[in-house]
Amino acid sequence: MSAEDALAALGGAERLAQLALSDTGFVFDPRSGLSFSANDTGLAALRLLRRGESLEAAADILSRDFEVEPREARAGLDIFITQLRRRLS
Amino acid sequence: MSVAWRHWTVAVTGMNARADNPGPGQAVARCLREAPGFSGRILGLGHDALDPGLYRRESCDAGYLLPYPSAGESALIERLAEIHAAERIDALIPCLDAELPGFIRLEKRLAAMGIRVLLPGAARLRARAKDSLPELCRLAGVDTPPIRRLTGPDSLETLASETGWGWPLVVKGGFYDAVIVRNPGEAKSAFQRLAAQWGYPVLVQPFIDGHEVNLAGLGDGAGGLAGAVSMRKRALTDKGKAWAGITIRDRALEEMAEKLVAALNWRGPLEVEAMRGTDGRLWLIEINPRFPAWIWLSHAAGRNLPAALLDMLSGAAPKLEPAPAGIMFIRYAEELALRLEEFERMMVHGVAGGPVPLRALAAE
Repeated sequence: MSAEDALAALGGAERLAQLALSDTGFVFDPRSGLSFSANDTGLAALRLLRRGESLEAAADILSRDFEVEPREARAGLDIFITQLRRRLS
Repeated sequence: MSVAWRHWTVAVTGMNARADNPGPGQAVARCLREAPGFSGRILGLGHDALDPGLYRRESCDAGYLLPYPSAGESALIERLAEIHAAERIDALIPCLDAELPGFIRLEKRLAAMGIRVLLPGAARLRARAKDSLPELCRLAGVDTPPIRRLTGPDSLETLASETGWGWPLVVKGGFYDAVIVRNPGEAKSAFQRLAAQWGYPVLVQPFIDGHEVNLAGLGDGAGGLAGAVSMRKRALTDKGKAWAGITIRDRALEEMAEKLVAALNWRGPLEVEAMRGTDGRLWLIEINPRFPAWIWLSHAAGRNLPAALLDMLSGAAPKLEPAPAGIMFIRYAEELALRLEEFERMMVHGVAGGPVPLRALAAE
């Protein structure tokens, strides 16, 4: 499954907008009751995706803000989406 | 909210509290004790002299033994009349499944004595029994796993393939207990244990892979849900009961409960147990006709459902918003001390008075 499909299966930006995000990286899902911690990059990715940025656009912004290669940012984002799907489904 | 009930004497059953599978009584009593403005008297009713809630004065002002449900309604009403003569009970909240049929049959006599109860009635109680769920869910438009009633273990060998359910399967007692089995050998062993413990038929269902979500609610008897608190377990006892949990907001679970309460015209407390499959689909597993043992979380989340029940009994029509997500509880076990005389009084007369401070015990 592609990262785009995984994000859609998860419920997209609407589902991610339900999450309670703390600046500490603590993430709480009010629907499932589960919580987990995200690092700075993960938190930034979540904020971008829940405001509706595409994966491509989110990867570009992450690449710029965290000074990594765009390809590296996109690969990291794809893995992050897979992890999110596992935690939020 | 009505104020009348805040001065009532309220009897609460289910004072058993074994750590692996506590009864709901103490949690219900604690909800009432901590309800703002409550100054009434709380009586703990139990079936065993070792039920700790009978002696725990933080929850109950006094404890009384009741006959076991198997003793029948005559013994129960006789005992309640004795307690009522001493205490003038205004309301009674049954908290154990096995007690419900007896209290329902006694509802009019209790009313004549001036004891208020909020009960679903015999037909509604039967309609939410485990083996009635497929029919109820068809009417309510709710998903529930199919179910087979078995009176012998022979067909277990082929059930998984014949039905297409595959392994694992869930084998359930008619009233209580469920075991996940992964092969015919485990299935037969579970069948025999459950049949010996709970009788026939034994129920078998396909296993739903996912996580359990629960909702405690209060039906108003007119098809409405007066209040609801949803919870996901975060830690379990060996018996699969919640040792820690957290309130959640799951709109699909709330809608499921609303549909069931509307279909049943449910009157009184209930717990909806559901599984959210890994595919996101929500399946009803069970409806318990009482508050769950984790009901104190409803007070912690600002939606005190036992207090709302008393409010309803006093003639009000409470309507609580669903509880917010993110309120956690972690259960713990503690000991209480009592004088031997107090235990003797419970054994001989079925009643316990005030507690004995630890200091007094140590001084003797």
